Amino acid sequence: MSAAGTGERLRYMADQIARNFAAMGEDEAIAATAEHIALFWDPRMKAAILADDPAHLSPIAAAAIARLAATRT
Amino acid sequence: MAHVIVNEGLVDEAFISERCDLDEYENWAAFVADPQHSPDVLEAVTRVPAGDLRAAARLYATARNAAIYYGLGVTEHSQGSSTVMAIANLAMATGNIGRPGVGVNPLRGQNNVQGSCDMGSFPHELSGYRHISDTATRQMFEQDWGVVLDPEPGLRIPNMLDAAIDGSFRAIYIQGEDILQSDRDTKNVAAGLAAMDCVIVHDLFLNETASYAHMFLPGSTFLEKDGTFTNPERRIQMVRKVMEPANGLQDWEVTQELARAMGLGWNHAHPSGIMDEIARLTPSFAGVSHARLDAEGSLQWPVNEAAPDGSPIMHVDGFARGPNGKGRGRFVVTDYVPTDEKTGPRFPLLLTTGRILSQYNVGAQTRRTANSVWHAEDVLEMHPQDAENRGLGHGDWVRLASRKGETTLRLDVTERVAPGVVYTTFHHPETQANVVTTEFSDWATNCPEYKVTAVQVTPSNGPSDWQRDYGALSRRARRVVVAGAEPAE
Repeated sequence: MSAAGTGERLRYMADQIARNFAAMGEDEAIAATAEHIALFWDPRMKAAILADDPAHLSPIAAAAIARLAATRT
Repeated sequence: MAHVIVNEGLVDEAFISERCDLDEYENWAAFVADPQHSPDVLEAVTRVPAGDLRAAARLYATARNAAIYYGLGVTEHSQGSSTVMAIANLAMATGNIGRPGVGVNPLRGQNNVQGSCDMGSFPHELSGYRHISDTATRQMFEQDWGVVLDPEPGLRIPNMLDAAIDGSFRAIYIQGEDILQSDRDTKNVAAGLAAMDCVIVHDLFLNETASYAHMFLPGSTFLEKDGTFTNPERRIQMVRKVMEPANGLQDWEVTQELARAMGLGWNHAHPSGIMDEIARLTPSFAGVSHARLDAEGSLQWPVNEAAPDGSPIMHVDGFARGPNGKGRGRFVVTDYVPTDEKTGPRFPLLLTTGRILSQYNVGAQTRRTANSVWHAEDVLEMHPQDAENRGLGHGDWVRLASRKGETTLRLDVTERVAPGVVYTTFHHPETQANVVTTEFSDWATNCPEYKVTAVQVTPSNGPSDWQRDYGALSRRARRVVVAGAEPAE
């Protein structure tokens, strides 16, 4: 799989996490998705998803990535 | 089941109020009580008759003792983690946890998978299930080992393979696992291994992953080494060497030699010393030693000051969450999120893979025994209706294809599988059932979704291109070339 392919895989993973937290309600799902990625993703995966265009992500996943970015600055 | 238990008032209110977080319980109870989660609505999805589901819920909730045991049929789905949490919700809602005769009991897939997990084999944890980001825990290891540890998690296997293909993951040491045959989407595994600069395989036999190894280190069997195995009830048991290892070294000695060759000053003389280090650094193992295991036969962790004789039952007066392991039970809302692996006109059948009694996992050990008399090859089980629709008969060679790849194997026409579902094992490298399985995995753990692959089955008259190519690679990889001699084809 090319780098682009890995990018797609990471987007899919982030969206899948967000979908599974969605039933908690939007705010909690955003927080839980951000926390999950922070706790379980390797730094290169985090860097890749943070550098990606959030337009490719679902709204909850995009908001989670934005929150993650905010905590790292 | 939760819908029935909550709506029919079958919850254990005393247990919930005493042991669980009430706000989280109320939130969860409102969610499961919603009519969209009733057995009648879900019958269309689950194919379980609503009456049967109600009866099961009442039986579970009203029994004096009720225990849940589950296997890989729960976890090897894209919703595996959600289902495990849903099971924990059920146990807490009915008070079926924390005393003898009840509980949530995963039946693990290997003899020591529990021990491996306990010792921090996850890429985000140190031993005793402590996250690598926890500064106090990390400092304990840093001081003991004299190193600085990265506070970030590492990669899981599928992500290692992707990173290898991208060029950022270059070496791997694989001990006692045949990922080429056991992991999903074999072509992706092969591409990842082929992209690495250094693949070290340490195993009892030249397994399929060894075809991609730059270095092979011979392993030792359970009869040739000292140590412990831990079973799914957290019972730590001694493994005792009864003969010298045929390769000259026990597995831990091989790993230690490798570490020394890389400049690390590992200097253990016996696995009992390694257990002493584990006890020193892992609060739940603080009271474990080989001397005690020898004297007492086995111990169930936690074994420490609070539980000097071990802990046959977990969650007796509190849950691990919170300070001192005395937290309140957490109910988690777990919605059903369908897998993205869908059947359709091209791939109208659902494949599920699994194991049978006479072969163990990839068969690296059991295929070399007389057990192969009982199971000489992987076969594809198919319902008579589906076979008839395709003009296929019992014993026919068939082509099993998904969007990821294809393989060929013989057909077993049987009513053991439901119409629309086919089943096979992954014990034989000639078949490589995982050529067909997909990259989809559990949302939280990335456990591959071995139980759901959309496939088509058609007549075949011989091996697939993949099988032919792989057979040639396997033969080349196993050639023995004498230094200085001309290699033979």
